[in-house]
Amino acid sequence: MTDPFYGISRNHDFDLSSELHPERTLARLQAQTRRHFLRSMTGGLGAMFLGTLASPSSSASAEELATGDSLRLDLRRDPKTPLTVLPPQFAPHAKRVIYLHMAGAPSQLELFEYKPQLAKFDGQDCPASFLAGKRFAFLTGIPKLLGSQYPFHQTGQSGQWISDRLPNLEKHIDDLCLIKSMRTDQFNHAPAQLLVQTGNPRLGYPSLGSWVVYGLGTENQNLPGFVVLISGGNTPDGGKQLWGTGFLPSVYQGVQCRSHGDPVLYLNPPPGVSSPQRRNMLDSMDEINQQRYAEFGNPETLTRIAQYEMSFRMQMDATDAMDIRKEPESVRVSYGSKLGESSFANNCLVARRLAERGVRFIQLYHWGWDSHGASAKESLDIGFIERCREVDQPIAALLADLKNRGMLEDTLIVWGGEFGRTSMRENRSGQVMKFVGRDHNPGAFTIWLAGGGVKSGMTLGQTDELGYEIVKDPVEVRDLNATILNLLGFDYRKLNYPFQGLDQKLTGVKPARVLAEVLA
Amino acid sequence: MTLSVRNPSARGGFAAASFLIFLVLLALLLFAPPDGIEHAPLLQFVGRFHPLSVHFPIAVLLLVPLFEILGRKRNSPFLLASVDLLLCVAICGAIVAAVLGWCLARGGGYSGPLVQQHMWGGVLVAVAAWLCWLQRLRAGSPGPARLYAIMLVGTVTLVSFTGYRGGQLSHGANHLTQFMPLQLRRLLEVSGSGHGAMNSAEESLATFYGARIQPLFEGHCVTCHGPAKHKANLRLDTYAAVMRGSKHGPVIKAGDPKGSELFHRITLPPNDDDFMPAANRRPLSSSEVKLIEAWISSGASHTLAVDATAVVTDGQTIVAEVNFQEIDPSAVAKERAAFAPILSQVQSRLPNVVGYQSRSSADLVLSASWLGAKFGDNEIVFLAPLSERIVAADFSSTAITDRSAPVLAAMKKLRQLRLAHTAISDATIQELGSLDRLESLSVFDTGVSASSLSLFARLSKLQHVYAGQTRISANTVIPPQLNGKLVF
Repeated sequence: MTDPFYGISRNHDFDLSSELHPERTLARLQAQTRRHFLRSMTGGLGAMFLGTLASPSSSASAEELATGDSLRLDLRRDPKTPLTVLPPQFAPHAKRVIYLHMAGAPSQLELFEYKPQLAKFDGQDCPASFLAGKRFAFLTGIPKLLGSQYPFHQTGQSGQWISDRLPNLEKHIDDLCLIKSMRTDQFNHAPAQLLVQTGNPRLGYPSLGSWVVYGLGTENQNLPGFVVLISGGNTPDGGKQLWGTGFLPSVYQGVQCRSHGDPVLYLNPPPGVSSPQRRNMLDSMDEINQQRYAEFGNPETLTRIAQYEMSFRMQMDATDAMDIRKEPESVRVSYGSKLGESSFANNCLVARRLAERGVRFIQLYHWGWDSHGASAKESLDIGFIERCREVDQPIAALLADLKNRGMLEDTLIVWGGEFGRTSMRENRSGQVMKFVGRDHNPGAFTIWLAGGGVKSGMTLGQTDELGYEIVKDPVEVRDLNATILNLLGFDYRKLNYPFQGLDQKLTGVKPARVLAEVLA
Repeated sequence: MTLSVRNPSARGGFAAASFLIFLVLLALLLFAPPDGIEHAPLLQFVGRFHPLSVHFPIAVLLLVPLFEILGRKRNSPFLLASVDLLLCVAICGAIVAAVLGWCLARGGGYSGPLVQQHMWGGVLVAVAAWLCWLQRLRAGSPGPARLYAIMLVGTVTLVSFTGYRGGQLSHGANHLTQFMPLQLRRLLEVSGSGHGAMNSAEESLATFYGARIQPLFEGHCVTCHGPAKHKANLRLDTYAAVMRGSKHGPVIKAGDPKGSELFHRITLPPNDDDFMPAANRRPLSSSEVKLIEAWISSGASHTLAVDATAVVTDGQTIVAEVNFQEIDPSAVAKERAAFAPILSQVQSRLPNVVGYQSRSSADLVLSASWLGAKFGDNEIVFLAPLSERIVAADFSSTAITDRSAPVLAAMKKLRQLRLAHTAISDATIQELGSLDRLESLSVFDTGVSASSLSLFARLSKLQHVYAGQTRISANTVIPPQLNGKLVF
């Protein structure tokens, strides 16, 4: 069909230029005649009638219809204050989240999964059933079973088993809720990390933190609502998409902060530029951006304005919040933190300071858990010991600090990797490797939750006697994420965003289960 | 229509024929009433045309008074001439509908007071229309005309009543009030949940049956197996009725889900003829099925405690689903109305400090800690008008001092109070005796000393006092009420 006004084709469903030019929109409306109306109306009525003939079960399950799955929470805000606090759907247990992601997938069999049978069969060929239909990153042939490299013991009033690698965390075992039956369908780091953090193994989906800040906003407008801190020497394989915002407005994406020096680069005016000068420049820029917004109405323009304003406000507060020199030395010692280092310990201390300052979602990554045994750093017998030492004391200190301030009541801590590790020793190219390691096991891994309305001193789920497959209460990543949203006061189905014709949710299209067992 | 209403002999024949049919119908109703047992499928087949046929006589009968009134207007006397025919048609229609209704009720295994009332109502409508017709034939003088008018009004009333009962049968006893807007419901003082006289027995929410199982039956089953209809002579509205079973015998075999007819029926493939809930109603969810399985295998007890959430069957733990509450926005708005203007004033002055706890509540939560030293005794006074609504307040790291104690003491609904890293002292704590709902209090890193312990002990709901880095220490002698509640 030809546009009578411009004489060009306008067959596109979504014509960006007509969205942006008001007069084109007007022309299009004028081109609509009574004839168009009558034609589409009669056709439309017929289509509506035919639509009712189709049984409802063919388009959506009866259960979904009954639960009003298509409903969405109203999260509209004044576009000038996109991070303003909104109440959750129902009374929340947790107000904020500190997510400790152990990038590379720590071995559950060396930390929380006590498997005496595995030790008994150490060095023997693994059962053929372990290999049937499975894909592995590196295992070849018939690998040998590998018993835990470290001794286990029972601890705490809850009597849970733990290895000797986490002597400090062990003191808080009665505060933890272990989930030993996590599973995923991804066996490579990047997609598995994306799945854990964004609910989807592909790029382009909003991260958990983005959803949370989108849903709840954040109290402290002088700090980002979603802060990302990285340690271990490497960015996780999933890259910055792990804290990306996907199709949500980009103001909700995570802000990666450096753990020494200026937390965010270029916050402070460069030498020779005074703060009032900066203010002047921002004001002029704001004016231009506002003009631009009035012209095109693109919400991303507002995001940009908000970001400039926030970075100006952050100059003071971010530097102060990240400055662990302001903590007494005794506290720094309890975390094992050293000034000037880029370490997990420093990040844990910063995480507590951010939590105290009203930051909604604090995401920590610690890289280096990929214990294949391919090198000393990536081995269970050497690198793994280091990794445990790097995280054990800081996590214990963080838990202790939050607990003695009462903040553990409404701060949810999540600890976990992206998948588990096999019960078999890795045998790259079919050879016995120099260092001890395990391959990726998406079939079972362990995570733990603490605080924020989670039952403490309990274990959910169970794996078989060799710690390879789940035998009880499997938990999908979407179930975990639905539970986290539930603790924050959301029905995961109603926190959704329309994109590509779908009400997109953190949990994806498959129904998730809120883990009622772990709710206190 | 072969029946000429002008021909007296045809009138007599019609009157007599109708009368005979009434007698037959009466015999059917008395000697073969709907008894909750399903009969010949052919009866059911024919009976299913009842809903299709029933609305015609209703419409025609309602036209009769309309025509009678409009026909009295000068310019439309022809309407009066049609009434005779209308009544005859209505009588025929009502008889057909009544016979089909009997087929449905008898064949489909209906029973219960609703069906009885609907059935007799239907037959009476036919009879009443017949009597109206006879009366109208005699109507010339004013006396019979008045009687005719009264009979007509009675017939219309009867039609409405019978129709309402019919609606209750197919859509549930509360079908008119179920989705009634809240305001209207309040005005009429009706409850929408249908918990009226027709309601099932109240079950204790402390038992597994009462809290978990009965609600499932209520939600999925009692429309057909309840007080109104008891198809297959089965009622699932009380524990006793559930255990009594149906015409085929018990439906629950305690300890044996697989051998229980009820469990068998709900776990069939949904397209099976015997699948329950029948007629394309919403099937039970897998977790609901698991709950019923767990209940039966644990002995189908009436008294099993509700906290037996993890009943083990086949090594699987059954857990209750998390139910997400539905919000009634108008009720919430009403609760908030009294202070909403004050709140928005405070919010514009102190953004992101105080807000609703959730979208479903009128309680407020307060968080000033992120403001640090920018929040102090001068700012807290802005919050005073809202103090009675606040259930959680965080003043950690703010500059408040003992001067703010009166504002804190007015927050009587507080369940959680954070005063960590502030300059408050025992003087503030002494004022907090009014916070009798307080469950959690943090005085971490403050000047609070052991002299506050007696006040903590007085707050009966208090579960946790975070008293690290204060002048209270782990060695301090603490009152017995605080055992295990102090966190250092």
